Amino acid sequence: MTTAPSLRAATPINIPPEPELVRIRDMIYQTAGIFHPDNKLRLLQDRCGRRMKELKIQTLREYSECLTIRPTRQAELVALLNEITIGETSFFRNQPQLDALRRIVIPKIIEAKSNLPLRRLRVWSAGCSTGEEPYTLRMLTLEEESAQLKNWSTEILATDLNERSLSHAQEAVYGNYSTRNLTPAYRNKYFTPQGDKLQVNPVARSSISFSRLNLSDDSRMTFMKSMDLIFCCNVLIYFDLASKKRVIQHFFNNLLPHGYLFLGHSESLFGVNDDFQLVHLPGATAYVKGERTLTGGKLL
Amino acid sequence: MTAATATKQALLQRLEGLHQIPTIPAVLAPLLRYLQQPVEQLDVQKVTDLLSQDKSLAAQCLQMANSPLFGRSQNVQSLRGAVMSLGFHHVSDIAMSCGVLNMLPGDKTGLDPVVFWEHSLGCALISRHIARKINFGDPGKAYLAGLLHDLGIIVNLWVLPREFRAAWEMGKSEGIPLHEAEHRSMGFTHCESGRLLAERWKLAPELTEVISYHHSPEKSAEHAGLVALVQLADLLCRMSGLNYGYLEERQVNLVEESGFSLLARHSTTLKDFDWARLTFELDSYMDEVHSLVRAIYRT
Repeated sequence: MTTAPSLRAATPINIPPEPELVRIRDMIYQTAGIFHPDNKLRLLQDRCGRRMKELKIQTLREYSECLTIRPTRQAELVALLNEITIGETSFFRNQPQLDALRRIVIPKIIEAKSNLPLRRLRVWSAGCSTGEEPYTLRMLTLEEESAQLKNWSTEILATDLNERSLSHAQEAVYGNYSTRNLTPAYRNKYFTPQGDKLQVNPVARSSISFSRLNLSDDSRMTFMKSMDLIFCCNVLIYFDLASKKRVIQHFFNNLLPHGYLFLGHSESLFGVNDDFQLVHLPGATAYVKGERTLTGGKLL
Repeated sequence: MTAATATKQALLQRLEGLHQIPTIPAVLAPLLRYLQQPVEQLDVQKVTDLLSQDKSLAAQCLQMANSPLFGRSQNVQSLRGAVMSLGFHHVSDIAMSCGVLNMLPGDKTGLDPVVFWEHSLGCALISRHIARKINFGDPGKAYLAGLLHDLGIIVNLWVLPREFRAAWEMGKSEGIPLHEAEHRSMGFTHCESGRLLAERWKLAPELTEVISYHHSPEKSAEHAGLVALVQLADLLCRMSGLNYGYLEERQVNLVEESGFSLLARHSTTLKDFDWARLTFELDSYMDEVHSLVRAIYRT
């Protein structure tokens, strides 16, 4: 024992969450697939608060009705999801996921492809927004090219529906907010200052091709073949269940047997797809094509 | 006899003594015995009186009673209030948790006892959570099994501190599971040392099985379902922030674990269980466990 505790009235650690907020949380998880655990409920409450202010609504109960009963509920859900994901985009946003990629996932891909003549890593950033994600992945693979990815080439396909986001991505100029997680080493090695902003340098822009793609465009989705890694963060949350199922099926078909699908933090495929299997990596999760599902067997 | 076998024999002989291990607080045994009676025969005042005999245990129980982890709905100021608002089952869960905490050595080199306790408490909570969601028997039993599954680590911390520290350091530097590191460096694991203590203490057969087989649930005989449930809860904790002080460098697919198919035999609803959601909820458990520990250790 380090310190003997004294017998005195205990201090409450936390106040119990409001039931209406829990209901909104569960509804968002069910329809959008993004989950706010109890310790993030305050954040959700804040986001709902912004919408309530906009709509001049006083109570969470009323707001809950806007999301469930009113005719404009779908538009309101999109507005709330926009609030939830606002500011989510930055370089090196999910460090545990990137660490797991470097230390566990890439070695497994290298092993799976060890007998193939072509040493190429194919990565798809599906819904790349303004480009922070594909550039982060490129910097990570560039670092590994002097180690485990020596003699490998990397090809990153970055797609988004929004033309404006894509042109921002191609300009590759970013402000303080996007670059807040950058270490000085990465900042110096892969960026050049441009006024008070930073531009990704040509080295880190190499091997990335940006293009406009609608994930619901079945004919074009079929051509995104032979992927080792697919990243799709905070995109599927905007799709209805049927479209989500179709997109996920395309991801499944386009991933190589050893491939990995990464979603955003707290995003889940539960109830959307049974072919992908959830795997736990140190401090992160991903989806893989299970061996038993590949052979057509049943899990249980 | 090889050198490795000789070392193992020597270590096991030291374990057989088990002299250094502290006993659980004296008040716990009569308290838990009393709480085993049918609920209608239990008296709030009697439970409060028993708990009050150990001031340190009483203070810890009050802290835990105020944590959302135990479903607290209002700020509890007194021990009697805690017993009343929590219900007898939770009192026994909390008293046992504090009992385990009080058994830990003070030495913080190697595996920090506080980190170990956070892992045990986390595993208890996740085991209880899974048991509730898949309608697996008594969630209180799952809690206790999760709490005590690593009893062997307490044994190793007391009886073989130097050898166990070397094993933990190997696990940490190589990013491998602790039981694998123990096996490689000592020739046996905390499952074996835990079984020795469980048998000496004459713990319930299901607890002894959990302690002995939570890394190999296929070996368990009578209580494979509970052993399997704890194996999965333990794995989830080790892959998150409720680990042994380091993250294991590996990929875990729960459906491929031996415990998964064993548990599926005992629960028809397991296939519908949302593991992703539980993983996200673990974040919240983690925060609460850390806050609780800070509250208990505050000066």
